[in-house]
Amino acid sequence: MRYRWLLLALCLTAAHVSAQTMPIPMPIDIEIGYRWTDVSGNENMYRTQINEDEGLLIRALTLATSDLRLDVSDLGAGPAGALRLETRRDGWYRFNLRYRRADAFSALPAFALGQHTFDRTRDLVDGEIEILRWKAIKPFIGYTWNRYEGPGTTTWHVGQDEFLLSQDLRDTDRELRAGATFEFGSVSGQLTQGWRTFRGRETLTLAPGANNGNNSDPVLGRPITVSALTRDERTDVDTPFTSFSIGGQAGSRVRVTGNFVRFAADGDATGADDVTGSLASFAISRFFNGIAEESASRAKNTTWRIGVRGDIAFTDKVDLTAGYRREHRELDGSALIRTLYLQSVTFGGADPRDFEVVLRAENALRRDEDVLDAALLVRPVGPLALRAGISQSNLDVNVAPDLAEIVVDGGQGGAFDRRVRTFLLDGSYSLGGFTLGASLQSSGANDPILRTDFLERDRYRVRASWKAPKFVRLGFVADETQQSNDRPGIGYDSTLRQYTGDVVLTPVEQVSLHASASRFHADSTILFRHPENFRIDESIHVERGKSLEGGVAVTWPRASFEGDLTHFENEGAIPFKLDRSRARVTVQVHGTFGIGAEWARDKYTESAFAVADYEASRYGVFLLLRR
Amino acid sequence: MKPYTFLLLLCLALTVRAQEAAQPSCGDCHDEAKAFVTNPHARGAVVKGVVPNDVCTTCHGDGAEHIESGGDKTKITVPRGLSGANDTCLLCHEETRGGMHANTNQVNCLTCHSIHKSDPRSPHLVAKPQLALCGTCHTQAASMRNKPFAHRLDRGGMTCSTCHDPHGRRAKGERSLALLGHLRTTRAGEAPCVSCHTEKRGPFVFSHGGLETGECTTCHETHGSSNPKQLVRATVQQVCIECHSPIAAATLGSQPPSFHNLSLPRYQNCTTCHVAVHGSNRDPQLLK
Repeated sequence: MRYRWLLLALCLTAAHVSAQTMPIPMPIDIEIGYRWTDVSGNENMYRTQINEDEGLLIRALTLATSDLRLDVSDLGAGPAGALRLETRRDGWYRFNLRYRRADAFSALPAFALGQHTFDRTRDLVDGEIEILRWKAIKPFIGYTWNRYEGPGTTTWHVGQDEFLLSQDLRDTDRELRAGATFEFGSVSGQLTQGWRTFRGRETLTLAPGANNGNNSDPVLGRPITVSALTRDERTDVDTPFTSFSIGGQAGSRVRVTGNFVRFAADGDATGADDVTGSLASFAISRFFNGIAEESASRAKNTTWRIGVRGDIAFTDKVDLTAGYRREHRELDGSALIRTLYLQSVTFGGADPRDFEVVLRAENALRRDEDVLDAALLVRPVGPLALRAGISQSNLDVNVAPDLAEIVVDGGQGGAFDRRVRTFLLDGSYSLGGFTLGASLQSSGANDPILRTDFLERDRYRVRASWKAPKFVRLGFVADETQQSNDRPGIGYDSTLRQYTGDVVLTPVEQVSLHASASRFHADSTILFRHPENFRIDESIHVERGKSLEGGVAVTWPRASFEGDLTHFENEGAIPFKLDRSRARVTVQVHGTFGIGAEWARDKYTESAFAVADYEASRYGVFLLLRR
Repeated sequence: MKPYTFLLLLCLALTVRAQEAAQPSCGDCHDEAKAFVTNPHARGAVVKGVVPNDVCTTCHGDGAEHIESGGDKTKITVPRGLSGANDTCLLCHEETRGGMHANTNQVNCLTCHSIHKSDPRSPHLVAKPQLALCGTCHTQAASMRNKPFAHRLDRGGMTCSTCHDPHGRRAKGERSLALLGHLRTTRAGEAPCVSCHTEKRGPFVFSHGGLETGECTTCHETHGSSNPKQLVRATVQQVCIECHSPIAAATLGSQPPSFHNLSLPRYQNCTTCHVAVHGSNRDPQLLK
């Protein structure tokens, strides 16, 4: 089942190829083999970061003719692989099929006490056929299927403690769409009508051995334990959407485009919880021996966006582009949650009874955004090119939360308005193989909505490169972004700085050497308030990253070698070192057949938290067929 | 028909055929022309496995003088750089003219696409695998992949163009605006993140305000991060508390109740209780 899409694509390809007269052999490039892994240290961290698995692997498969192309990459042993088929017959059809598979794994020793983990797979299939029978109108129909499923672990705060749960998730998203592209003279565009459905199912049970929860201390003298727990949640979302775009040429120098997108997501969710144990609740000031909860909710998101843009070519070298876009979003939600606390008593042991709490919640969010922008592009005038632009965005947000959401007054709703104005100027000077470029982007805002929103932001970038034909290419990039918000009580200040230099040497056509060095600095501070004592403090985030890379590639008539070394080192909030080595050799053994071998090694070390360290080597042997 | 008339016509036909056969083919000298049989630019034109000269002359101009001179390179057009892109590629691919990667000396069609020597394993005739190609200029973004927590680019299907549209979708009038970057939206117009992470799309009854008013990048670094879950800060509590501290200004983000003692490990891991940080249909405090 895992490779049914691959088989389907291969069958389609075979059918297509057999229908054609092939006077010359179809070019083909196949690399298939086996990979072994050797991991020491924290395997969960290795899987979270890299997750390359042991097993059979189609490293590459490419078949190509002028009207058909099949590409497969890294299908087989995880973590990710893809297949892509494109075929067409002029005057009849164009057909695209894509399949992508990705293993998602996370089990971090320090994240949420290491209790939030998952080991899931995402499969994504997308197919579209376009009918090419008519020149003016080309109808198409497409289908996308996205499934995310697998086990995991999570936690639930219930009865004044947190309990580890085993989780099984299965989400399926489907999209069917139909429409047409059209072209009438100088006017062209596309209309798409789509229907999307999301079906989510999540079941949770108490993890083995998790009966006592995370905290051993009793609550008001009563031990908090759970003997049985199940949760079942279902989510269904239906989303019809419409997309329309149109563009037309007005004379030889003006082009106008417009687009409209609207979707209306309508979601229903139900949930049922059953818990038995010895529990407490400060919300109802009672001890109880179980929970039976049912919930039903409905949420809607209606969003539309409209945009218009004009491009004017004053001369062959000077363009002006200007546009306006408006986006409107409405979120409305309502929920009815009935919670029955079983066999409850007051903290004093009185009034024994089942206690029911019914919560009816309704909330809403409105968001409007207007963006206006204009840019002038001056194409090369001699060695110089310039671009200047301005944009302004206005964001209006109105949040109306249900009272049930508000635990501490303030900051959870209201009307917010934020206007950001941005200026951009960049230019480049190119002469011979030398290029020097610089850009400045400066933004100012009137108000923040989130505390980490900037009021002032400046970004500077300088880039230089020099390329001598077929021998050397040198490059250097320096980039700095400063953003701040000096409002009292926020005091946000952030600087990101990165320098990168790289060189590629090609002394002879068969040999290529490359090296790069990069430094990355991140400094961020913002005021925050400790909830426990209201003390104002400074949240500081610091990174000092250093990256070094080097490699060589050599090609002989019947063999090739590639080798790379990477060292990444970070100091600051999470100090770590990451060393990566890669080597790959291919030898053409006979005619079109060859053998490839590769080796990769990753070593990750954290100086402050050695339990996260790992060292992983992978070895692969591959058969090559290249014709 | 009389026999001599038939013979005459036969001779005439053979002469014409012989003359046709005598017409040299580009592939006689250029191996690239033979290999072009699989190139999308030869689509529909290949006859019995041979690429007609007409296909070559579309971009290289009339080759008669080049042939007559015995292969004089000055007598044939070789599209290169900005002028090559303007005078050749854009005659057909007009819709890619604008956008951030608009035609300049620094970046033009032939900077990224190689018509005859593209990477054999990459579609669309791109010159190199995407990460190497885009990383030539976008060195910062490319170097982010060296961080421990990052999307797996060029390893099994995900590439730069999964999220970015290098041509800016200008033809469709979408977010190709000069200052807004080149994000590839879903067909319903949403950010590219939710084209894969569909379960984060909602809608949720109890949505996380930061996600609805900001965006995914408010909390996550997309290209790669030193922090778990590609977060913008090293710890979860730091990500949360930086917004959830309404000290003075009227910003969105509520203050946690005072029993959240951040000096205790229990409260340093906000998501141990508030698991549904992207939104919930079941709990106002995002507890499930």
